[in-house]
Amino acid sequence: MKAKILLAFLTLCLPLLASALDGLELLKKLDRNLEPESYESYRKLINIEPSGAKKEFVIYSVKKGKDQIATLFLAPSSDKGRSTLRQGDNMWLYIPNVGKPVRITSLQSVTGGVFNNADIMRLDYAVEYDVKSADDKGDHYLLDLKAKTGDVAYDRLVMKVDRKLVLPIEIEAYTASGMLMKTLRFKDVRDFGGGIRRPATVETDSPLYKDYKSVMLYSGLKKKDFPDEVFTQGFMARIDELRK
Amino acid sequence: MNFAAAVFTVALTVAGIASGAEQFSFDASEFEKKIFDTSGYLEEKLEAMSLRGDAPAYRLGYPGKPARKSLVRSTTTLEASARLNLDAFVADLRAQAVSAHDALTDTRSEATVMDSGVRWSAGPGYVVDIGKRVQRWGKGYAWSPVGFIERPRDANDPQASREGFVMASGEWTKRFESPVSTVGITGLIVPTSGRINTDFGQTGHVNPAAKLYLLALDTDLDLLWRGKGARPQSFGVDFSRNISSALEVHGEWARTLAAPRNTVTASGVTRSAQANADAWLLGLRYLTGGEVTWIVEYYRNGNGFSARELDAYGEFLAYALAPGAGAALENKARAVAQSGYGRPNPGRDYLYLKASVSEPFGWVYGAAALTAMSNVHDGSWQLTPEVSYSGLAGVELRARLVLLAGPAHAEFAEKAVRNRLELQARFFF
Repeated sequence: MKAKILLAFLTLCLPLLASALDGLELLKKLDRNLEPESYESYRKLINIEPSGAKKEFVIYSVKKGKDQIATLFLAPSSDKGRSTLRQGDNMWLYIPNVGKPVRITSLQSVTGGVFNNADIMRLDYAVEYDVKSADDKGDHYLLDLKAKTGDVAYDRLVMKVDRKLVLPIEIEAYTASGMLMKTLRFKDVRDFGGGIRRPATVETDSPLYKDYKSVMLYSGLKKKDFPDEVFTQGFMARIDELRK
Repeated sequence: MNFAAAVFTVALTVAGIASGAEQFSFDASEFEKKIFDTSGYLEEKLEAMSLRGDAPAYRLGYPGKPARKSLVRSTTTLEASARLNLDAFVADLRAQAVSAHDALTDTRSEATVMDSGVRWSAGPGYVVDIGKRVQRWGKGYAWSPVGFIERPRDANDPQASREGFVMASGEWTKRFESPVSTVGITGLIVPTSGRINTDFGQTGHVNPAAKLYLLALDTDLDLLWRGKGARPQSFGVDFSRNISSALEVHGEWARTLAAPRNTVTASGVTRSAQANADAWLLGLRYLTGGEVTWIVEYYRNGNGFSARELDAYGEFLAYALAPGAGAALENKARAVAQSGYGRPNPGRDYLYLKASVSEPFGWVYGAAALTAMSNVHDGSWQLTPEVSYSGLAGVELRARLVLLAGPAHAEFAEKAVRNRLELQARFFF
């Protein structure tokens, strides 16, 4: 009799189990909705000071697979020709006059302002974070993400996800001590062609930079594959060859 | 709601939209690749120097000039680059024109092709390059013992622009799914003749060199070699690795076979010898929680001069350049300086320490740094506090103070310049 009751209980619970939110699958889907695994894109980074003064950077980026990213600075003129490379946790900066790639870390910032190197050379969230919890909040999902290693720039992310589009709406990034480092707001969902529909604007502010704001604008994002040799130190001076 | 209230509400809403919801736009087509592209900068530098007018180095540097206690120098530098992009072929040129003016040397102007050539990218992993190029071997920040085929870096300003040598090179790079994830092989020749690379060494040599690069277990590794020719044969190794996201360690080791070494006694007796010489460097970069980047390097130059040898050289200069010593002794002093003692860091052991912080005290785009460099054996040192600012579009500003001191006849205490204040503005185009 007990076995029958247990079986009936489990049968009743099955639909609940089937409908339980799979946070990891959701995160992987969000990653693919944001960008193809291999792509090229152009981004404009705008740092806005409390006075309203702005400094703009334009970056060409290419990514391949889970953890290979290279970027090339196209503007301003003082930064033109600089490039960065990321292979997993390894990051390098190439400055034309200095000439040799120098190792950099994820928390440093090649642009100054609110964006750091990890923001500029971001890997898929599912590559760097485990899902601690995933909650259905009705109009959105709420994901609590924990960094897989201590080398990741932010120890914890709290991500508000658009339920319908499966795209981030807002991300809060915290240090290991629980301090809020920055908040990213994803806006202006646009069709980039090739089945890519994602926010074209990411606004960021940080309590560490009071009254400062940084904006990242996307354009020319498209799926593209590259040879592995593009993501090597020797190619950092030649990234411009990839542009048409 | 009456009409006035409605108008007021609408006005407030419009004002709110205007002030709070700034619209940004970006179209990548504005940044399409150009077939012909130019860039560069104009730099204005003002230096106020306190001089050691009575130091032998002053008399060596400014022969026949009266002793001065101070000097102001203004330098204008124009560096322009042009690039022609023709698919797999890229032709480029980087040239620099410098005009300096001060009361000791009046106006000096010179123009130099720093870097120029043609690159053929036969594929993502194959490159052939011919021209005047700057090879930057090694992982050191202030020095590079394995920089076998390049002009030495200025440890006072490691990121300063340098001039290349004429060379031909081929490079092959391959990625692998293994613990050794990248392999790169570079082969070069740096020919010397009466017309090209005259300052590389003896003429009539091909001067082959090669580098094997490996990214193995997240560690950058290079094996480097320069064949015997205009310069003695050298070989070495370097490495760089991130121990954590905040700590990087690097090192270099080089051996030069039958390296020439010239010394002088206090009385002016010179001696030439040849011996194998080892040089090495160990360093680290560490980013603290407070965003301060520390760079620490220890440099051992096996072919450098000991404190005793530098002391003897200092005594010889004082004797050879004393008033009334004669032209023959002055010429000998100049020849001895050019044989090795006069190079920027002629000593044997150096310690370099730089602490820099980006955006200190919330000063966005600002940076501050303090650099200390010391000749470990003679106890002389150089201290350089500096601030820089890059918040204006296309403009970089830098101010720094260079302070030098040490015991008598010690390296940094014997330089012609006692202290120097530099103000520099770069305008990029």
